[in-house]
Parts: sequence; C-alpha cells; structure tokens
Amino acid sequence: MTSASQKSSTNEDTIVAIITPPGEGGIAAIRLAGGQSLALLSKHFRAVRKNESDFKPFLMRYGFFVDDKLEKIDEILAVFMPKERSYTGLEQIEIFSHGGSLVAKKIQEILLKSGARAAEPGEFTKLAFLSGRIDLSKAEAVAEIIEANTQKSFDVAREHLIGNYSKHIEKLRTELIEILAEVEASIDFPEEEIDPEETSKLVKRLSNLARSIKELADSYSGGRIISEGFKVAIAGRPNAGKSSLFNLLLKQERALVTPTPGTTRDYLSEWIELGGQAVNIIDTAGLRSGGGVIEKAGQSSAKKIMNQADLIVWMADLSQKKWADFLSEDLSEDLNRNSIILGNKIDKVSLDEKTKKFISDHNVLPLSCLTSQGVDSFKSVLVNRIAESMPDLTSGLVVTSARHMQKLKSALDEIAQAKSKLAENQSPELTALDLRQAASELAEITGRIYNEDILGQIFSKFCIGK
Amino acid sequence: MTYKDFDIVIIGGGHAGVEAALAASRMGKTSAIVTMDAKKLALMSCNPAIGGIGKSHVVKEIDALGGIMGMAADASGIQFRRLNLSRGPAVWSTRVQCDRRYYNDYVVEHVSGEARIEVIEDLAGEILTENGRVKGIRTESGALIQCGAIIVATGTFLGGLIHIGEKKIKAGRFGENAAYKLSDSFRELGFEISRLKTGTPPRLNGDSIDWDKCQIQPGDEPMPLFSHQTKRDAFKQTPCYLTYTTAKTKEIILENIKRSPIFSGQLNSAGPRYCPSIEDKFYRFVDKPRHQLFLEPEGNGTSEVYPNGFSTSLPEDVQAAAIKTVTGLEQVEITRPGYAVEYDYCPARQIKANLETHLVKGLFFAGQINGTSGYEEAAGQGLMAGINAVLHLEKEPPFILDRSEGYIGVMIDDLTTRSTTEPYRLFTSRAEYRLSMREDNARDRMADYARKYNLLPKAVLNSFRELQSKTETAILSFKKVRLAAVDLGKYANELNNMNSMTLEHFLKQPQISIEKAMPLLVLHNSEFADQPEVLERAAIIIRYQGYIEKQQREINKFKKLEHETIPEDFVFQAITGLKQEATEKFQRFRPDSLGQASRMEGITPGDVAVLSVHLKRHKATA
Repeated sequence: MTSASQKSSTNEDTIVAIITPPGEGGIAAIRLAGGQSLALLSKHFRAVRKNESDFKPFLMRYGFFVDDKLEKIDEILAVFMPKERSYTGLEQIEIFSHGGSLVAKKIQEILLKSGARAAEPGEFTKLAFLSGRIDLSKAEAVAEIIEANTQKSFDVAREHLIGNYSKHIEKLRTELIEILAEVEASIDFPEEEIDPEETSKLVKRLSNLARSIKELADSYSGGRIISEGFKVAIAGRPNAGKSSLFNLLLKQERALVTPTPGTTRDYLSEWIELGGQAVNIIDTAGLRSGGGVIEKAGQSSAKKIMNQADLIVWMADLSQKKWADFLSEDLSEDLNRNSIILGNKIDKVSLDEKTKKFISDHNVLPLSCLTSQGVDSFKSVLVNRIAESMPDLTSGLVVTSARHMQKLKSALDEIAQAKSKLAENQSPELTALDLRQAASELAEITGRIYNEDILGQIFSKFCIGK
Repeated sequence: MTYKDFDIVIIGGGHAGVEAALAASRMGKTSAIVTMDAKKLALMSCNPAIGGIGKSHVVKEIDALGGIMGMAADASGIQFRRLNLSRGPAVWSTRVQCDRRYYNDYVVEHVSGEARIEVIEDLAGEILTENGRVKGIRTESGALIQCGAIIVATGTFLGGLIHIGEKKIKAGRFGENAAYKLSDSFRELGFEISRLKTGTPPRLNGDSIDWDKCQIQPGDEPMPLFSHQTKRDAFKQTPCYLTYTTAKTKEIILENIKRSPIFSGQLNSAGPRYCPSIEDKFYRFVDKPRHQLFLEPEGNGTSEVYPNGFSTSLPEDVQAAAIKTVTGLEQVEITRPGYAVEYDYCPARQIKANLETHLVKGLFFAGQINGTSGYEEAAGQGLMAGINAVLHLEKEPPFILDRSEGYIGVMIDDLTTRSTTEPYRLFTSRAEYRLSMREDNARDRMADYARKYNLLPKAVLNSFRELQSKTETAILSFKKVRLAAVDLGKYANELNNMNSMTLEHFLKQPQISIEKAMPLLVLHNSEFADQPEVLERAAIIIRYQGYIEKQQREINKFKKLEHETIPEDFVFQAITGLKQEATEKFQRFRPDSLGQASRMEGITPGDVAVLSVHLKRHKATA
C-alpha cells in the first residue's frame, strides 16, 4: 500500500505534463520523465523519414504522433534526453506539437492511457532536487521562475537559480564556522599556545555577521513584494468611487493570473502589472455595508486588510459636502501609513480657494473615474511609490521565501544569544551551542546538511599539537 | 601445530585487543590474544598518559561498560589533573600521567587472572574464511586457531615501517617486529588497504635535565579518578614540567628539514594534524618563534622522560643537536630516538556500526586498523568489538551507541560515514550533543547497557543506582532551599542582584562556577557533605537544564532518522531515481539507518529523500 504522496515522489512512474501555458499558441510542449519515457514515445512516434526513427540524445526528430490505432494525431518534433543529462535526472522526452490546447491535451491523454501518470505541480523540479541536480534554494528558485509574472520577480528568481544567493548564504555560514572554530579551539586545546582572538574581537565579528544576515533578512519586505506582489488597498467612505477606480485600473492595465488562487474572500482582489511590478489591488468596498453606516465587523476586517497593505489609496468624494471632515477623521488614525489621497469626481465640482488650499496641503490628487481625468498622474504617483518600496535588486540577494526568512531570523536569535554569552564571559561550550545552532539554520536554507568542518578551520589556523 | 578452538581470536594485545578479550570473557566467551610479546599487553607505545580532552570521556564510558582502562590508569597514575576546569562541566577532562611499566604490569596481571583468556605468542599471518564467514587464523609459524569470530587490533604493527631520517626499519614499534603477511591476507579477501603514519619523540634521561629552568606543573588535589571502583589514598604526585624551544632549535630544524623523510618525499602517508612533528610545526607555522614542550616522567621507577611536543623523524644526529637547544635540555641525553611509523589500515567505511566488516561475517576491526589514533580511541573500539563479537556468536542484535549516547558512538559513526584523511582522534567539538555527554554522567548513559550485557558486577551497578537516587534527592533539595542574604553576601562580586533566591536559581547564575558554589551546597545539604560527587552531579544537571532541553529537541530530531533502520535485505540497486554514485556508495558501505546514510560523504539531501521514500515503500510491502 502506498499513499499518494509517496507515489508522487518515486521514480518508478513515468510522468507526463503539458509544460507550455494553456491557451492558444504556436507550439505546445509536452514533457515525459521516467524510465518508460522513450518506450512510450517510440510506441506513438512514426518518423517521417524511415532512417530517422531512432532517438539519439539531444537530437531533434521529426514525425507524427499516432494513437493506439496508429491514427495520426499531429505532426511533432521530439527530443530524447538521457537521465545523465536531463533536468529531472530521469530519462526524459520533450514533444513539441502544434499549439492550441486540444492537440497537446490529446497527446497527453494518449500517453496517460499508455501508462504514464500525470505529473503533479512542481514534480519535475522536485525530481531535479531529489536527483541532486539542484540544491534546495535552487529548487525554490525554479518554482519562483515559473511563478514569476513580472520582469522583476523573474530577475530575482534567476539570481537565485544561478546560485549567487546560495553562495552568499554559504559565505555567511563560513564566517560563522570560523568564529565557532575560535570558540571550539579554546575548549579542545586549552593547553596549547594558540592565542585565540580576543573576546571583544569575536563579539565584533559576530556583530558584523549579524548585520549582514539582518540586511539579507530585511530584503524580505521587498522580496515579499516581489514574490507576493505589491498590495494596494482602496479605502474610503461609501460611494466615494472605490469600485469605479478598481474597475478602471483593471480595464486599463494588464491583468495577471492570481498567483495564490482558491482562497475564499469577501472582498474584491485582483492583480495587474504596473511599472513592471505585480500589483494586488483590493477594493475594500465589500466590507462596508450600504447606506453609509459603518458596521463594526466590517470595519475591523477592512482594518485588517489595510494593515497588511503596502499602500492605502484613500478616496474622497469631492462632491460630498463634508468630504474634508470625513477624510481628516479617517486619516487621523493612520497618519504614518504609506498612502495616496484621491479626490474623486473632480468633473462634478468646481473648487473654491479654501478647498484648493486643503487639497494642496494634504497632497490630495484630484481625479475623475468617470472621465479618467487625473488618472494617469495618479498612476505615475503610484508607480513611484512602488519603486520606492522595492529593494535594491542590483545584488540579486533578496529573500523571497518565508521559509528562508524564518531560518535567517532563528540564526539571528542564536547569534544574539551567543554574542551576549561571549560578552559576559560565559562558558564557551554554551556559546558554541548557540553558534552551532545558528550555523545549522543557515545550512538548512540551501538544504545542505550541516557538516563537521570546524576542526578543519582550527587546524588550518593554529599550531596545534604537543 | 593446532591450538584448541576459541570462541574469539584477537589479533593484537594492545589497548583495543585487551578490552575486547576482557569484555568477551565477562560475557562468558573464550578468547585467544595472539601477540608477539605476552609481556607487552596494553603497552603505552607513545606518551605515558591516559585521558585528556575528548579522550577522557571515552575512558569514563569504557569504565562504565566494565572496561579496564580507567582502573589501570588510576592504579598506575603518578599525576592526576582535571583539564578545562575554568570552562563548563561538559568539557571538564581528566588526564592521568601514568607509570608506563606499572600500567602494563597491571593489565598483564588482570588478563592472566581471566580463565577464559589465553595469550598466544605468535604472529597472525592469514584470516581463514568459509562461505564469507571467519573460520580461524593461521599464524606465521604455521599454527591454526579455529574460532567463530576474529577481532583485528593490529595497531601500528600491520605493515609497520619505522623512519628515522634516511633510515627505514621494518617494525611496528622500536626494536620489535611487524606483520606483513596479514596485510596480504586482507588484500586477498578484497579489503581496500591504505597507509597512515604517526610519530613519537625521542626519550630523554631525566637525570640530565636542568629542571630548575623549566616551569613546574603540579597535579590536582583531590586527585580526579577515572573509575568508581578505584580506591586509592592521596599520595605525593609527581609533577610534569613545561619548557620551550629556542631560536637555535628553529634554525637547526629548518636547516636540516630536507633530511626528514616527510620532507624528502620518502614518507607520503598522512599523519595527524593535531599532533604534528616538530619539523612540521616549524615549517608550517614559520612565524612562530618557539613551541612549548611538556616534559612528562615515564614513571616512578625510571628516570626516563617523554618530551611531549617533540615528535620527530629527523636523523638521530639532528635530533640530538636540536633537543639540546631547548631550555633546560642543554646537557640532555637521548635514551631512544624519536621516529615516524607508517602502517596499514583499512578505511573504516568497510565496517558496520558494530565494527564487523561488510566483506566477512564475524570479522571485526578495532583501533588503528580503522584509522584512529590514541589509546582511548583504540580501547573504546576494542570494548565494542568484544561485546559485538559475542553478540554475533549468540546471534543477538548488535550493540550500537548512537551519536547522542556517547563519544564512543560519535567516534564509530564518524569512522563509518566519513573517509579518513589523517589518523582520527576525538575532540569534544566532534560531539554535537556535547552538553548531554559529560564525564559526570557517563555511567548514567551506560548503566542500562552494562546491566543488559552483564559487563559489571551487580554490586557496582547497585551502588551506582544509589548514587543516582541521592542525586535526585539533592536536586529536589536545591529547588527548595532558599538562600538568605548572609549566604549571598560572600558572592556580592559575582551576583547582579542580591535578592533572596533558591539554590537552584543561584546555580544558574553564569558567573557562579560550581566550584565556587560548593561551600553553599555543602552547607545546605549536610547529609551529602562527605559526598561531593552527589552535590556536583546535581549541580551540573541544574546548571545545564535549559541548554540540555534545547539540545534534547535536536537529539529528538536526530533520533527519528536513526530509528529509520535499513533492513539487511534492502537492495539499493533497486532504487531507480538515485544517482549511480550514491547507489554504489550505499550498496558498498550499507548504512544501517537513514540517519547514518545522511551523514555519509558525498550523499546529498536529495539522495536521502529518495532513499527514504523507497525505504518506506519497502517496509510497507514487507
């Protein structure tokens, strides 16, 4: 008896999936991975030229894909990758059929009928990890690349895949091991004249290391924006035009497929691309009941969403008499938030001097969702604000995974403990315990098992031996 | 000739061989120790001391499992020290300077008192097998000894070759023979054999040393002992001395360095980095103007002195010239030259965690043949090999200590999962669960096994049970006793606040060492006033409590993988998704558990994940 999860990770199955996105397209690609890949293809492949029916590694073959009754399904190109050189570490086939979801689906169906199993999401990459082709952080990067829906998220994912990120983590871990070696040397070789670094120096090195780790961890706020998108909540009194703005943005900008589908929600949330960045716009309108009365429950949900947002767009209805009072009241609680204030329905009112002064004092952007007046300048303000919140991507060292973030945080905690023990001159074996824990937290990011390389450091540095 | 049959044949009568024979005897099995000289059992070939950091933990574990090393060291000790006392109790380490001759006599006497052990003076030449199982050995003199298990503990004698300058001597120890045929026998059986080297300093005549120029290092009082079975009254301990090399020493050695076989290319085997020769030290750490030497007496009845730190394979004339430049040794007389010795070993991935070889059933390896160095490391393996050879004969499951149970476990796991690049010795930093594996709790960790395998007399185990319950009582009392201002007043310099606190809380103050706390512990627990060990044990537990809890979480994670055992009939080649390299490694060195597999060199987390899935499937269908 085997459970589904076990089944998915074994390599006895040959798995199949369409690897190009659904929908119309020139070419569709189907991938097979597993011991039966070549056999399955051979069964359904008929070469156009008789002498080209054998598959040599990485040689593209041209022919027809046929079903069980040898009926031609489509004209295809196919390539065979031996397990030594394939992405998954298993025998692999890639088939290129004509685009259009129907043909590719038909081919997949036939292969399934012949004994292949449908690949689960991410299974090809999981196999690549299991076969040792890529380390854990790289496997995660591959998932990021697949999920990357904007140029920026792609750039970061690519850096992760190239391994600069792993190298950086490894560098931090090596520094940690070097410090640990100093502590261990004082325990294991107390009678040697090894002259370990002074405590104050070690404390300083630990502080520097902690700063580097923290810098990396801090990139998570930006990294999270890259991987999860920039969250914009549209807030304001009923009928201020929140939904109008929401719909307008959706209409004008390229909509994105939601990366986190399937969550139930009682508010409207959509994704657009703005300035090369995925932006998640949330209309809090649904959270407030009609008739102008703000319900307590709705208010608290709206608060929650607004708290999680990277930016709040406050909408005021300039045609309302008391809009400025309402606005002052709403803003009074959230003075320090990253926000943009919009004055909607500019097309419906003419502004007196006092109102104009209020607008300029409070940086209110007048616009009209109806006529689109002022909408472009709002968008450019929004794009600027997003850019300001983005991390510096030039190094490519950005944490985008919550798992990594948690490990970095734990490592920081351990280092802080070690530092205070060192400073207080506590027993070195206790300091070493914290430092070892910190090192293994870092090692877990790249999926590398923590190895004993402390002694190597000690021997390379000190003249040990009686 | 043919000897009578034995249950077990042990090749080699060093520290490993002796512990193996004694353990087997305690478990009711007969054994023959085949050695070249019956009077040299458990001889200290190098420095005359037992214990030291990392190693002392093993001695305590050996003692707790009924071994002889701790008692022999206690009985023959001339200077007793507890190292690392300024650090935490997990890394306190006992070190005993021994009378070399007395230690050897003590062991010879005990072995001869065992009816089930016979010492045969001969040279083992061939391992005899049948259907992949041991059958016996043939000695170089042609004698045949049949047995059900063999323990190989050959030390530096397997293919031993001594180097002194340009001179090469076929010997495992100065002035003795070596075993060459046996190496061929291992090769024929299919074992991979490689070479390691180690070295020893010249010995000096103590009467020619100017002691006044050296710094005295007295022993500790009260003297720390290894064994609880030892009863020894206080006596006047013999001190060691500390001295230094001079600029002239460095000059002579660097001038003649090409004459050292290590630097001339005559000797290429890897030696221990933690115990480099003096020429190595000057060469590698060229900025260091001088190196320290410890002058250690070889015993009370001899004037011979061991200059610890001056291991060398330079020619004798250079040794003599160089050592005379050391402070205090200006007139010194060398009684025996230092040398390097090269020997055969079988990289230990060829053995299982019970020390039995993968290739031949009933064949066990212990000590330097597994690439280790040190008396303590050898003895620990010998003891385990002895117990496991008996279990093998009885068809019982093996006795394996894991990395969280003891230093012996750490050592054997390191040996079986990693390739040896230098002679292996223990350090406390090798033990990731160091805080839970201390000298003071060695018996707590081993008692159940000692009981299970009948390794210790009932009375000894019972008295330990008593100690355990007294420790519990003391811990409870520490939690209850509230210290008053008058108690705390004496610690005003160390404490941050002088508020009334329990003894427990007091012991957790990092600035208060257990040594410093002892007077208060005694004061408030008068029933244990004459049993400082009870108070110390309880204090250590309290002091480490939080840290041990933290460590325990890691141990639990570790144990989970350790308990995922890999059955004997599991076929690694059947795993289709594994890299060929990983499959070969697994098949060849058959890890006993998923945990062990994960620690093998060259194995990635991915390989382990694949193995884990297949293992689960295998178990589900089995």
